[in-house]
Amino acid sequence: MRKHTRAALLCVAAGMATALTLTACAAGKGGGASSDAAAAPGKDDKLTLTVWSNYSDREYEEVTKALKTFNKKFPNIEIKHEGSQDDDKITAGIRSGNTPDVALSFTTDNIGQFCSSGAFQPLKAYIERDKVDLNQISPAVREYTEYKGNRCAMPMLTDVYAMYYNKDMMSAAGVTAPPKTLDELFEAAKKLTKKAPNGDIEVAGYLPTMGFYANRPTILAPSFGAEWEKDGKSALASSPGFTEMMTFQKKLVDFYGFDALERFRAGLGQEYSADHAFHQGKIAIMMDGEYRTAFLKAQAPQIKFGTAPFPTWKPADYGTAFTTGTIMGIPKGAKNPGAAWELIKHLSFDTDTIVDLSNAIKNVPSTKAAMESPKLEVDEQFKTFIDLAKSDKLKGNPVTPIGDAHIKAVTDFAVSYTSGKVPDLAAGLKEVDKNIDDQIAKSGK
Amino acid sequence: MTATLTKPPVDVTADPEQPARKRDVGGFLNWVATHAIGLALGLMFATPVVFVFLTAVMSDDQAFTADLWPREWHWENFVEVFDKAPLLQYLVNSLTYSLLATAGMLISSIPAAYALAKLQWRGRNLAFLLVIGAMMLPPQVVAVPLYDTWSSLGLTGTLWPLIVPYFLFDAFSIFLLRQFMLTIPQSYVDAARVDGCSEFQALVRIIVPMAKPGIAATALFCFLFTWNDYFGPLLYTGEVKDQWTLSLALATFKGMHIVQWNSSMAVTFLTMIPAVVLFVFAQKSFVKGITFTGVKG
Amino acid sequence: MTATLGARPAPGRGRARARHRLTVLGFMAPAIIGFVLFFGYPLVATVVFSFTKYDLINAPEFNGLDNYAYMFKDPLLTKAIANTLWFVVVLTIARTVFALGVASVIARLKSGVGLIRTLCYLPSLAPPVAATLVFFMVLRPNGGPVDNLLGVFGIDSPLWFSDPAWAKPGITAIMLWISGDLMIIILAAILDVPQEQYEAAELDGAGPIRRWWHVTLPTISPVLLFGIVNSVILALQLFTQAVVAGSAGSGAADATGSTKYLGFPDNSTLTFPVYLYTQGFRYFDMGYAAAMATVLFVISFAVTIVLVQRMRKNSTAEEGGPGA
Repeated sequence: MRKHTRAALLCVAAGMATALTLTACAAGKGGGASSDAAAAPGKDDKLTLTVWSNYSDREYEEVTKALKTFNKKFPNIEIKHEGSQDDDKITAGIRSGNTPDVALSFTTDNIGQFCSSGAFQPLKAYIERDKVDLNQISPAVREYTEYKGNRCAMPMLTDVYAMYYNKDMMSAAGVTAPPKTLDELFEAAKKLTKKAPNGDIEVAGYLPTMGFYANRPTILAPSFGAEWEKDGKSALASSPGFTEMMTFQKKLVDFYGFDALERFRAGLGQEYSADHAFHQGKIAIMMDGEYRTAFLKAQAPQIKFGTAPFPTWKPADYGTAFTTGTIMGIPKGAKNPGAAWELIKHLSFDTDTIVDLSNAIKNVPSTKAAMESPKLEVDEQFKTFIDLAKSDKLKGNPVTPIGDAHIKAVTDFAVSYTSGKVPDLAAGLKEVDKNIDDQIAKSGK
Repeated sequence: MTATLTKPPVDVTADPEQPARKRDVGGFLNWVATHAIGLALGLMFATPVVFVFLTAVMSDDQAFTADLWPREWHWENFVEVFDKAPLLQYLVNSLTYSLLATAGMLISSIPAAYALAKLQWRGRNLAFLLVIGAMMLPPQVVAVPLYDTWSSLGLTGTLWPLIVPYFLFDAFSIFLLRQFMLTIPQSYVDAARVDGCSEFQALVRIIVPMAKPGIAATALFCFLFTWNDYFGPLLYTGEVKDQWTLSLALATFKGMHIVQWNSSMAVTFLTMIPAVVLFVFAQKSFVKGITFTGVKG
Repeated sequence: MTATLGARPAPGRGRARARHRLTVLGFMAPAIIGFVLFFGYPLVATVVFSFTKYDLINAPEFNGLDNYAYMFKDPLLTKAIANTLWFVVVLTIARTVFALGVASVIARLKSGVGLIRTLCYLPSLAPPVAATLVFFMVLRPNGGPVDNLLGVFGIDSPLWFSDPAWAKPGITAIMLWISGDLMIIILAAILDVPQEQYEAAELDGAGPIRRWWHVTLPTISPVLLFGIVNSVILALQLFTQAVVAGSAGSGAADATGSTKYLGFPDNSTLTFPVYLYTQGFRYFDMGYAAAMATVLFVISFAVTIVLVQRMRKNSTAEEGGPGA
């Protein structure tokens, strides 16, 4: 009897070992996890570079055009650009050895995973070999393309977030200048809000609901001087900025009344449609990225809007902003890492290419040279974002190995705190800290 | 489930008190009530689909706003989507995927369902439970080892990883077909056996014709599931545009910070047309199958 | 399962028995191969992963029961389990009853059957993401058609996908709206009930409701069992509709169902599979996701066994036939 059980156990163990070896094989396939730089291709080398991105339609065409400018340097390299590839797809491809030479990702949430797992190859050796001047890129953007000193990605274009305000509504409500502090923002929001006799909100001066539109804790954090971590630990509870963020949100929600605000918000249009509440004149002030300037002009020409840095808690912080953007990396197992690096370098630093692409899809360029370029189309509203991007006050995504788990944790907490479900703010934040730390500890990175 | 061979006469408690006249008047009212409910249901079900259509003909600025009736009718949206994406190529791929998968499913699942429904063998109950169990692993997790396997076979970038499994095992279809076959009285099969039919002949001559509505329904679901499958084709053919299916065309209309809702809905509407046509035809075969078995009863 | 007697060869007839076995094997062969490849292998892999730390890129590293231990300090997991249990109970009952009801009405229609049948089935033909989005627009408070309709009666529309209390009922409504597949299956089964059984019942003086209860229901019970098990599985695996409803609720809907904020509002749409996906593909912890999948599988498989056994007992008792 005993013998039988043991034999059965051994069988199971053998099965498990086989399965593990299988996956290990799949994972280990494809070369190029070494830290050495692969040689650049010769001027006339013939090869094909595959690029995966998540662009589609018009943006896809524009990015393809930008990729093709690489042929000025290497005329015989053919570039195959495959759009509509999300991060899940990139991960599946890398794991199984079915990889592109260059992968573009829309989100900076996953950079910690990409760098620490080796999904994207380390670029240090290339940067040192080619003596690339990283100072061309602003510090915040440099931060969100590396993890714990391991640079595994380069930025393509960036998004910068700032305040949008409806000029007509401001002057009608007697708000003469865009608010610069949180107190001014609160006062302006009160004046700009219109309520119907039955208490329904018709226009919200500023919509605070966390998780809705661009109201994400990462995007708001710089304006509150909120710090995500300290000594490698989640530090929300000990950061006065986060306490202030929650308090400010709650103050606003209480001003509207939670139920009234929810009813108002539930009727607002989708962020990625012409029905966006700002387009419809239903909110007067909001936080959003630079790309909104183009959409507003195309979809809501009747809205006269201005842009300015988002108000800050501490006056000294004024002029800060959140930045994120598209990142590029060489996936583990890429067939032509040397040539892939040349392409990435080209897209990261070739001023004309960056400026043309930036003009075409209305994102902020990622290098100082491109931002200074006279060819860059900068109108009054877009200028705010360029100025913010030029300053050294930008803040990037807090990079963790757990994707956006920490951002979700804070968003969830903000929602329950503003709805009045959390009696003790400090204790609540401590609990969020603990959850984030647990999650990071679980990842083992 | 059923004990069809020895099924006693259905236990109907008779109610002899009910006068016949009352039933006629009641019958008419019943007719009106049922048809009114039927019509209301039909309209309720159709409404959201009407909105798919209305959104498809809106301008980009109006689509997906609170304004639900098109201010202008942009019929050209249906034409423009063909310029934005090679829809005909996608159509061919979608048909390849759905038709082959459905054919494969029928070949593999009908015999298995028959064995589970009408043959007696040791381990059958366990096998049936395993079929159900096979549907209970979350597909998100199953995809991880399977993708790696297909990739090591060099078959990613094609539709084969999606089609081949249907030729072997589709738990949903086996389960559904088995349940339909259970509703066929065992006496028919036994009669066939007495006449000297082999099990295969009994299956082909007796069960398949009698289970036609069930088979048609199962085939329809298989076709429609694969037709609307989004994550499968995205995972396996995402990087090879030539292999894309119609369902993936939706990805064409989504950018980094923008969604073209009217084009998305136009493609959705166009994608639905072949499915609707198929359904209208398939439903005839339900009816035919039904009358066939009904008369024979 | 069934009490079929005819096919069992009498003992002692060895050759016939061997042939019978071969027949069964022949019929089941593709299924057995497919089962091993597309279910057995992923299942083993999932269980193995569940004892490892696996970031989807590097080879899994054995970490014992760590993943299972973490479940006890994961606040979101509790939420996800509660949400999925909600759907298993409510959605299973609602969907089966609703589909049976609609099918029964359609089965009684004399004219316009084809049209109404098609209309009812139409929504299930729509791609799931698009169907969910359109439904979202139809339910939209503040100007949506349902809101306007309720307004006529002076009722304030619920906030649906913005209100944690209404998001799950909203998703259930979507699922009912696209339950045309189950409706058609049940309809086919109802129409398949041999006419003479009704005639016999009618002779005994049974009215329509009695006939439905005593003839239709018992005869289609295998298909109803399918409906229930299928709905349970659907509820357990509810993913696309939850993700899309959540993203549309947070104002960030897109045409393919990707989202920034899973679980909106207040994690009320964070179903077990959504959270499993989040852990595996957003937080890159496939080991933990695999542990979740294993637990889900074990529990749901156990529930199914109980359900199937109980259904069998019930139907056997009702029909008065011998048990399996």
